[in-house]
Amino acid sequence: MPENEPELSSDEVRHVARLARLGITPEEVTRFRDQLRNILHAIEALNRADTSRVPATAHPLQERNVMRDDIRAPSLSVEAALRNAPSVEDGYFKVKAIQE
Amino acid sequence: MNLFSRSIRELHQMLVDHEISSVELTESVLGQIDAVGRQTHAYLAVTRDLALRQARDADDRIREGARVRPLTGIPIAIKDVLCVEDVPATAGSKILDGFIPPYNATVVERLAKEGAVFLGKTNCDEFAMGSSNENSGYRPVHNPWDLDRVPGGSSGGSAAAVASGEAIAALGSDTGGSIRQPAALTGTVGMKPTYGRVSRYGLIAFASSLDQVGPITRDVADCAILLQAIAGADARDSTSSPHPVPDYLDGLETGVHGMRIGVPKEYFVKGMEPAVEQAVRGALEVYQRLGATIEEVSLPHSDVALPAYYIIAPAEASSNLARYDGARYGVQAGGGHNVIEEYELTRQQGFGAEVKRRIMLGTYALSSGYYDAFYLKAQKVRTLIIEDFQRAFEKVDALLGATSPTVAFPLGAKTQDPVAMYLNDIITIPANLGNVCGISVPCGLADGLPIGLQIIAPGFREEVALRVARAFEAATDFNRARSALIGTAA
Repeated sequence: MPENEPELSSDEVRHVARLARLGITPEEVTRFRDQLRNILHAIEALNRADTSRVPATAHPLQERNVMRDDIRAPSLSVEAALRNAPSVEDGYFKVKAIQE
Repeated sequence: MNLFSRSIRELHQMLVDHEISSVELTESVLGQIDAVGRQTHAYLAVTRDLALRQARDADDRIREGARVRPLTGIPIAIKDVLCVEDVPATAGSKILDGFIPPYNATVVERLAKEGAVFLGKTNCDEFAMGSSNENSGYRPVHNPWDLDRVPGGSSGGSAAAVASGEAIAALGSDTGGSIRQPAALTGTVGMKPTYGRVSRYGLIAFASSLDQVGPITRDVADCAILLQAIAGADARDSTSSPHPVPDYLDGLETGVHGMRIGVPKEYFVKGMEPAVEQAVRGALEVYQRLGATIEEVSLPHSDVALPAYYIIAPAEASSNLARYDGARYGVQAGGGHNVIEEYELTRQQGFGAEVKRRIMLGTYALSSGYYDAFYLKAQKVRTLIIEDFQRAFEKVDALLGATSPTVAFPLGAKTQDPVAMYLNDIITIPANLGNVCGISVPCGLADGLPIGLQIIAPGFREEVALRVARAFEAATDFNRARSALIGTAA
């Protein structure tokens, strides 16, 4: 954790929410800011651990590729894959315009 | 004694002896759900028709005497984070309200092949994030031992169902304690297998390097039976392990004579209730009497496991939960002017507060400028925790401590303080980060509320954890205590 880092600001909370595509009300900004500050404060304990000699564990299993033969097999039908979609057109998911 | 309060093993015998039918058994359990379900809220959905159809099929199998397996005809509850084809799955989240999975989770498919009966989908904390079940997007679960208290979480519905007679056994999932902690708080047996032991295909992802599916049952033998049915490699989950699956009932009764059991001094954490500590110390005496050698060991990085977890799990969650965009499945808010606004509105309305907190925490930890200080640091701490366990298991066969530092707490007691809530998992989290397996078994009552004893064994040595747990269960009568809702019939 960065030492002497200023406390999480409301702007940072809004920025993070935007990165996460999470709509957020002004009240939520304040509430989450305070709660996240507390959580980050508790997490600062990480600095107590000396990690200078160890590599990171990204995944519990040994890094290795798991290969299988490339054999054709049935997969989910288009109909089944689209069954839960709120909006569908011509076998595609339909979304709002990405650019206006 | 009511059928709904018996064990898998007893009921299997009664089924194969034609003493009872699976339909009778299933009706007994469904009747108990009708009787107490409104008090516990253990289920989000009860699949009555499916259950009775499967029970009739099981009775056919038993009548023909062919393909009868230990779980044939046994009514089981499935945590709502697991997909059952054509049965709604919500993961306890409003954002998945109405979602109907088009396929089965591998564990579900394996239970179906065994001829098990699916009672329904159990309530849980939203996306399995929580330690009290109060983060369910629908309603909290109430503890069958005291309805004013939480059942633990996140598999609180599964644990409450087993404790109240609303299921014979259940599947849960454990990312930081979500099987063991609710098992402890409801007087049931719950096991988190080693990462890779059980397929995660069809498990709605929370933290992909930590999640594991596992059993919640009435006793250790049932836990072994259910684990047997779900363990093993799966071509559809490349992180499932090819490590051979032993026979978990074989050697279950061997006892602990001559075994070395380590007690991590760090697991007697600050804030542990005296009754919990007393119960664990009592368990140590039991093991000593049974011929095990008890020695104190140190897992020096235990104090940084919780902070490391609260970086790694939210980071992985923030990535996994990016898929909920309202475009392909689940609830779409509507009203956004463009696709980005639509995502933001959907996710604002669909996710609950704890899920939002963790998404933001994880996004923050992964964001530019903070990655090394948070995520990389936490992954290095994870290595230290793995090494702690490796060193300890050079000296001892299993580790022993409490599962939860407290017994079940009142509903609402910790909902305003996320950090206080996170502390519930302080002694369960290390096993998830450390790639080992753990089981919780009942080890006493404090003012009528269950206490859980946690036994941790090395990775892929579930049979060791089960054997140590069974020795304790066989030597004591803590397992016979039952919640008020199930009655004192046992």
